[in-house]
Amino acid sequence: MSESGPLLEISELNVAQDGETLLERFSLRLEAGESAIILGESGCGKEALLRVLGGFPDKNDSITGSIAFAGGESRSAAKRLRPPIRIAYLPNPLSQPFAPHASVLDQLVRIVARKQGAPLGSAREELRLALERLSEAVTPALLDAKPGRLDPVTQAIALLAAVSAGTPDLVLADHAMADLGPGAVRMMLELLAAERKRLGFGLLYVTGGLQPPARLGGRVVVLRAGRVVEEGDAARLMSGHAHAYTSLLFRALPQLSFEAVKPRPARGQPLLQVHALGYGPAPQDSLTFELRRGASLALVGEDGSGRRALLRALLAFEHAPAGRVIFDAVDLNVLSQKMAARLRRRIAFITGTDECLDPRMSLWDTVEEPLRAHLNLTGELIAGYRETALKRVGLASHDGDRPVASLSPFDKRRLQVARAIVGAPLLVVIDEPLRGLDAFGQTILREVLTDFRITHEPAFLVVTSDFTVAQSLAEEAMVFHEGRIVERGAIADILREPREAASKALIEAVRLPALPPGQASV
Amino acid sequence: MSDTPVLGTVLRAAGWAGLGLIAVTVSLSDFLARAPAGSTQSGAMLHAPCDAHPFGTDLLGRDMLSETLHGLSQTAFHALLGAAVAVLCGGLFGAVAARLPRPVALTLRGVFGIFAAVPALLLTILAIGLSARFYAPLAAGLAAAPLAFVRAFDHVDIDSTHAEYARATGIPALTLLKRDLTFEFRRMLGSVAARALAAVTIILSTASFLGFGAEPPARDLGLMIAAGKASYLTAWWTAAFPALALILLILCARLAAGLDEGERP
Repeated sequence: MSESGPLLEISELNVAQDGETLLERFSLRLEAGESAIILGESGCGKEALLRVLGGFPDKNDSITGSIAFAGGESRSAAKRLRPPIRIAYLPNPLSQPFAPHASVLDQLVRIVARKQGAPLGSAREELRLALERLSEAVTPALLDAKPGRLDPVTQAIALLAAVSAGTPDLVLADHAMADLGPGAVRMMLELLAAERKRLGFGLLYVTGGLQPPARLGGRVVVLRAGRVVEEGDAARLMSGHAHAYTSLLFRALPQLSFEAVKPRPARGQPLLQVHALGYGPAPQDSLTFELRRGASLALVGEDGSGRRALLRALLAFEHAPAGRVIFDAVDLNVLSQKMAARLRRRIAFITGTDECLDPRMSLWDTVEEPLRAHLNLTGELIAGYRETALKRVGLASHDGDRPVASLSPFDKRRLQVARAIVGAPLLVVIDEPLRGLDAFGQTILREVLTDFRITHEPAFLVVTSDFTVAQSLAEEAMVFHEGRIVERGAIADILREPREAASKALIEAVRLPALPPGQASV
Repeated sequence: MSDTPVLGTVLRAAGWAGLGLIAVTVSLSDFLARAPAGSTQSGAMLHAPCDAHPFGTDLLGRDMLSETLHGLSQTAFHALLGAAVAVLCGGLFGAVAARLPRPVALTLRGVFGIFAAVPALLLTILAIGLSARFYAPLAAGLAAAPLAFVRAFDHVDIDSTHAEYARATGIPALTLLKRDLTFEFRRMLGSVAARALAAVTIILSTASFLGFGAEPPARDLGLMIAAGKASYLTAWWTAAFPALALILLILCARLAAGLDEGERP
């Protein structure tokens, strides 16, 4: 690698697709060992930038501008880039970067071998050493499995190890830690920062979330509609002395409130009563609690901590080994299927994976289905309810015949809320509702859900790994760790005085310290 | 199935266009034919294709163009009847049966799976033997139904996550069935019908060729090919043109179905 110039210099890069400008006059200079975070909403142009730098442009991309690596000659960005430096690509494990039917270890070894131009045996050893540095729990033996058997955090560590083993000059991180949960994101960002310090590689981190700039610090380039809005130090941009758009973007970053709030009194009849419900592998994993009408409860914990097992037992998705679940004064487990269905219509789901929506259905059919299935209403009334619900979530102007599969994640999430609204549920189960959304999308959805709760007063059962989400949607919480409930109580109390280490770790994961200018917090 | 979606779409469109042309030809067969069905012309036996008889004449001096058109008309009409039976008793029933209580659904799947493993031609011959030749289209449709049932049954994803969530919010099984029929069966109806049409055409023609299906004086392409056996080596046109019409009908139906006839799910 040449030492005479910047590691990467992009000049006047333009990317357009079918006449639509995706990136306009984008320039960036990155010195060796420097990091830059490209921040923006979905469709702001960061994806197009990565496609060009990564060497995998769309066939419809129209590209102009030039790119130079390591102080070398500028080359047209439209031509195939042949960088004289080693570039590593760090994808998000949730974007399914691995071939599904091959061992993760084998796939990573091949990548390292190709990057280093080394034999497979040597690459395997490099990968093993990198894994040893990063994590004790993730071993080559563990990775010798198909990707479907490995959790996303394990895959993220494996991907970072492969990047590190390739000793790159420049790393392109593509939303690399998005949606892994605050605790995992914090750990992964710490590992990435440590590897960067050790190997001295340049880093271009493309993200729509605010955790990376807040934790990594350094230079941030804010993109909007293909143009650079602002460029500067993360600490300054987060301080409020920034462009109005940047300030708005950073205000979307949820912050924990540690102020004592007056708890809402429990009111109404009990809606969900759980008596000694078994939900875990051990006999002592049983739970008793009560959720009143209009109340809210968050099940907080990292992925794999047992929250979903409890949820599935609660809602009788799976038969619980012991205990009773009483919903609206009726025991769900003793009812016939038909009677249980009548009761279940007062339950709604909103999930971060959008898997409760049938992708084949149209937007209108999705909203109308609960009304048609449960109530004998005229078409005119159904259309009225549908329009009201779609207006509430901001989807009324969308084509009603569009299939769900063609909607963006943000639209799908709002569609779920609209479907929940028309059903007038007594209980809304909300599972990682902000997953996969950019900062603005998260803010809007949080407001839509809060508005839904205020106007319809359903009880909320929130499953999340993020205490900021729990705090904005619920008053009480149960904290899960390694399959057990370790703490329960009012969220305000847990935030002020967490008793358990797991609760403290979850709170620390979303507490963002003020950044000194030019310095990373991790 | 074609490798690229574009090529597959073009082939399917060509198949449907071909079926459309055949439908027009069949509906106008009485006008296009130069002679009524079975009409003989003395002195012109086994005449080679010429201006007066583009497809030649057969042993009885009948104009082969007219006979082929009449034969295509009858074969296509019977095949359409049989395909309708196969779609209703096979495809539609399979899509509905998948939503029945699991033990019942799996039992039905097992029974239809056994019938699907038996050659449909033998089932047709058996059914004709138990009833009458008149019911040959019905028999062929019923014989093709098990495979259509298995395809439609296996196509329904009853364990989908969205269905699980729908059940958890009290959406009845009937509504979920409606979803499948609306979005899945409607989408695959064209290919199911075209596949059934191809299968029933082959079954009916083969049964007639072997003497188990239509009998004279009925006009059927399989029967016409069988009748041309005696003179085929000396007068190729007596069997070649009916065979060509049969090939066109089956090829168009298979193209319309996406060329996946014979594939098991």
